[in-house]
Amino acid sequence: MGKATTQRKGDTVRAISLPADFRIAALDEVKASLVEALDVPAVQIDGAAVERVDTAALQLLVAYRREAVARGQAPAWQGASAAMREAAAVLGLVQALELPATTPA
Amino acid sequence: MSKAALAQFQQVFIEESLEGLDTMESSLLELDNGGDAELVHTIFRAAHSIKGGAATFGFPEMSSFTHEAESLLDEVRSGKRAIDGAIIELLLRTVDCLRAMFARAQAGEPLNDTVAEALRNELAAAMGRGAPAGAVQARRNVDQADAWTIRFRPYAGMLASGNDPLRLIRELGGLGELTVTPEFDRLPATLAALEPGECHLGWTIELKGPARRADISGVFDWVEDECDLSIDARHVVTEAAPPPAAAPAAPAPAAAAPVADAGAARAQREASAESSSVRVSIDKIDGLINLVGELVITQSMLDTFREGEIDAARLAVLEQGLAQLARHTRELQESVMGIRMLPIASVFNRFPRMVRDISQKLGKQVKLELVGEQTELDKTVLEKIGDPMVHLVRNAIDHGLETPDKRRAAGKGDTGTLTLAASHRGGSIVVEVSDDGAGLNRDAIIGKAVQRGLISSGEGMSDEAVADLIFQPGFSTAAVTTDLSGRGVGMDVVRRNVADLGGTVTIRSTQGKGSVFTITLPLTLAIIDGLTAAVGEERYIVPLVSIVESVQLKGDAVRSVAGGGELFRFRNEYLPVIRLHDAFGCQDAVRGIDEGLMVVVEGDGTRVGLFVDGLIGQQQAVVKSLEANYRRVQGVSGATILADGSVALIVDIAGLVRLQARRKAA
Repeated sequence: MGKATTQRKGDTVRAISLPADFRIAALDEVKASLVEALDVPAVQIDGAAVERVDTAALQLLVAYRREAVARGQAPAWQGASAAMREAAAVLGLVQALELPATTPA
Repeated sequence: MSKAALAQFQQVFIEESLEGLDTMESSLLELDNGGDAELVHTIFRAAHSIKGGAATFGFPEMSSFTHEAESLLDEVRSGKRAIDGAIIELLLRTVDCLRAMFARAQAGEPLNDTVAEALRNELAAAMGRGAPAGAVQARRNVDQADAWTIRFRPYAGMLASGNDPLRLIRELGGLGELTVTPEFDRLPATLAALEPGECHLGWTIELKGPARRADISGVFDWVEDECDLSIDARHVVTEAAPPPAAAPAAPAPAAAAPVADAGAARAQREASAESSSVRVSIDKIDGLINLVGELVITQSMLDTFREGEIDAARLAVLEQGLAQLARHTRELQESVMGIRMLPIASVFNRFPRMVRDISQKLGKQVKLELVGEQTELDKTVLEKIGDPMVHLVRNAIDHGLETPDKRRAAGKGDTGTLTLAASHRGGSIVVEVSDDGAGLNRDAIIGKAVQRGLISSGEGMSDEAVADLIFQPGFSTAAVTTDLSGRGVGMDVVRRNVADLGGTVTIRSTQGKGSVFTITLPLTLAIIDGLTAAVGEERYIVPLVSIVESVQLKGDAVRSVAGGGELFRFRNEYLPVIRLHDAFGCQDAVRGIDEGLMVVVEGDGTRVGLFVDGLIGQQQAVVKSLEANYRRVQGVSGATILADGSVALIVDIAGLVRLQARRKAA
């Protein structure tokens, strides 16, 4: 595990898995996938595997969501790890990220 | 940085800053006496170091306070402003205020108080900027509150330097309950424009829970330069009333505060001050290492005697080795004691300021001379000699030295001379406080003593005996009671304080010529000279300084009096008897007066007869604290270990007298 992986499901739904080490050094790659995903109507982000996360990573997600919502998309969470939810809570970003309460099994 | 490590650095910083403040003070005083411009630079440098250190070690209040003084000094330094008496006065008060702040920092109390606040405004006003807007300033300077609003806006580059707001806010959460509201206004409009390594978020954090400003700003210590930060108290805790010691009537530093002022906080502060560190020169340490090396060599040499027969030739070598061991041990002991020895200059240095303040207040001209500042004495003694000296110096200026016109009338120069001198004399240190003032007024003292009922008349009394009267509790001859002295608290306190240190105070005075107060103190409190007394199976050490003499009495010399006490006649006075075996509950002691020995001792200004079986001999006793190893015992000041390995208690004469008085009362 490590890199963000993009999986194509036809042309309508795209799933993006966030890396285990989701921190400042890994963000360029994630950003590229997210920018690309802005053109796709339905995106599912999977944060279940994230073990380490920092402010820069969450800031990236916030920026992505803002633009996506502005474009009329509805990015959905496929999962979010405890580490991500805790970090988002500390930074007051739970609402902005619309994180799911618990990780779906 | 861990809390413990930071605390350690803070301690070093505080000590260095206090030294810096001493430098500032002495330079300011020199400047006041017409010193050169180089002094301004010295003062500026000291202030600058304190400011920088305070900011680094988490004392932002102190840093901003010093900043005001520094700005003022900078103007003086660059010649924009001429230095005058008013500025020196202001800066001297700044030094006092900073000292008080450091004392509060050591005690873990809020740094700012109303005095600091007022002084900061004065400094700002002197700079011509007027006081900063009151309300905001007051809110900003609150140190303790139940709720805080923290606005935290990192600069874009903060993340790249490895500082993550996530960690900072998490740490802040340790101080109380947080409500974190993010701010997105700086976030780029498009994702593509976002540089992931830059920080574009900001936060407003509501912190609920009692916290100190320093704790909060401490969290952001390392990112100070990388963010905009404001910390505002929302709900202020009512602070305790400012300490009364801050009143301008107390010219001496905290340590010289009146003895009566005994709050719990003060005790705590004293405790922390007394447990502080001591600086030792590398030379002394090297000397110690050298001596320990010698000891190891001697020990290994003696070790060879474990094996083989010891014949005459080897015996001579053995004796030589033992002699060496004894010498090295003694030298080692002296060197170790030497570590605790510090020059008395640190005590003397507080006086130029005090003398200046007091003489100005009283309209007297005083020249202070310091002699023997480098004389070294034990740190513990050093810390405790300050208070008695303050009393003596105040007395000398207030009662001793005359006003200029009186001096002229007496045919003396306008300016009086006050001399503080320290020197070693045998195993003691002698500190003299002398003035060329009016001297003790024999008639006034006798008049007062008669009025107080201390004596019936002064006839036939020697000058020494008359002078000794001023050490009686509640004795003061000052016609007018000033706030400096004359409240009747003074000389008796001096004598008691010095006696607590195992020393004595004497006066030599010539009417019209001046007085000399001489304090004689032991070099160290760690070793005392004492006589070993036998009481039954037990051995007690009676400190030599408190022994007047010892006499063998006839059985009928001691009389019982009503109330259960015993008295005996000693040189025209009747002294109470304390039977040591009764006081300490010893078995098998001699009971008949003619079989034992009466040791006349003096403690707390009173003489008593101490009845013991006999005196064994004189010895130096290394004092082991009973308090540290067991607990405090009334009537005993410590313990020592005798040559045969048994433990002997050291008698505390003053404590014993008090103990006996209480028992009698009960």
